[in-house]
Amino acid sequence: MDFNVSTFFLEIINFLILLWVLQRLFYKPLLEVIAKRKRFIDQTVTEADTTRQQAEALRDQYQNRQQQWEQEKQVALVSFNQQIEAERTLQLNKLVADLEDEKQKLQVSVSRQQEEFKMLAEKQALKNGARFAALLLQQTASDELEAKLTSLLIDKLSSLPDECSSSLNLLKTKKSIPIKISSAYPLPNELREQLELKLNALIDGSINFQYFQAEELIAGVRIDIGSWELNANLQHELSAFAELADEIV
Amino acid sequence: MENEFYVALGPLMISGSVITTWGIMLVIACLAWISTRHLERLPDSVQTTVETIVSAIDEAILAVAPQHGRQILPFIATLWLFLLIANLVGLIPGLHSPTRDLSVTCALAVLVFFSAHWFGIKNLGLKKYLRHYLSPSPILLPFHLISELSRTLALAIRLFGNIMSLEMAAMLILLVAGFLAPIPILMLHIIEALVQAYIFGMLALIYLAGAMQSQQPNS
Repeated sequence: MDFNVSTFFLEIINFLILLWVLQRLFYKPLLEVIAKRKRFIDQTVTEADTTRQQAEALRDQYQNRQQQWEQEKQVALVSFNQQIEAERTLQLNKLVADLEDEKQKLQVSVSRQQEEFKMLAEKQALKNGARFAALLLQQTASDELEAKLTSLLIDKLSSLPDECSSSLNLLKTKKSIPIKISSAYPLPNELREQLELKLNALIDGSINFQYFQAEELIAGVRIDIGSWELNANLQHELSAFAELADEIV
Repeated sequence: MENEFYVALGPLMISGSVITTWGIMLVIACLAWISTRHLERLPDSVQTTVETIVSAIDEAILAVAPQHGRQILPFIATLWLFLLIANLVGLIPGLHSPTRDLSVTCALAVLVFFSAHWFGIKNLGLKKYLRHYLSPSPILLPFHLISELSRTLALAIRLFGNIMSLEMAAMLILLVAGFLAPIPILMLHIIEALVQAYIFGMLALIYLAGAMQSQQPNS
């Protein structure tokens, strides 16, 4: 229980020395290592947090991008469908127009064919009619019919148009004008005289009348004055009938 | 108990407690040096053990003085480590605990006394630190002074009395009953050594924290 001053002071010094030694050898390096590890852990945690935030940001970014892609895909799909619909409508309209054109062409072609067929039928009918009329007239032709036709011609000569009369007057020459008169049957003298009188009245100058018989005229006469030809016969009428059929074609 | 030996070194009388203290200091210093020779960021088992000890002490100090923990850690930790080993040294046959010597416990108590004032003045300044003796009323100044002295004396006497009585009881039982009889007392010595070291260190910590935070709000 005794108190020793030397021990007292030596213990104080001892403790202070121990404190200094432990501070140098123990606490300081140990606390530094702990602090260093704590810094490392904090840094690692911070880096992990940063990495996590970056990963989350990237994830959000990718999700946003994916949504954008989805929206763009939808928009592109709608646009594509619209384009397809527009193209389909265009092609359909074009097809309808082409079909309409083809239809019109076909209608025109059909109508033309029908027209041609009709014209051919008319032509054939006219030819048949002409042939039938020719056969019929050949069987009914006679000198009396020819006399009537000649009389009709004589009557017509007195009422020729002015242009024809003036043209005939231009034939005036010093030479005699040859006029060829062809008939299917021999013309009676009475009709010859009437014809010559009428022609002399129309043409001033000497006229050389020449008479021929041409059975192809069936009935009637044909007068050739230079380049002029006056027809009053059935063959000419029938040929005019056939020419009409050709004109139709 | 009066068989203390002294070595005269000039005017100094070196007691057995001082020599034991030197031995303890040597052991602690060697252990500290060995355990901190190769400190790595990834600790081995020894480093993990010492880090656990220091971390536990640090947490205990921070729980009492969160703002000044690192400042007083070396003093309190050294006090705890020294007292723990010094209290347990008595279990080794032929050795006595230095803390069974009143001179040693008084020295430690005086160190605590001055340390409290030192850290208080260092943190608060002299005027501000001395002002707390006048609060809440200057009338209480004598009581403050008596409290300072009595608690220091109590620190010294408590530790000295407990350790000395344990060793004396063990010696008496050994003398009366033989070799195996003091074993329960020795086990009690271990527990008591741990408890007394903890109490002394914790009281020192509270005194230091009180001195450092005496004028701070919410202290």
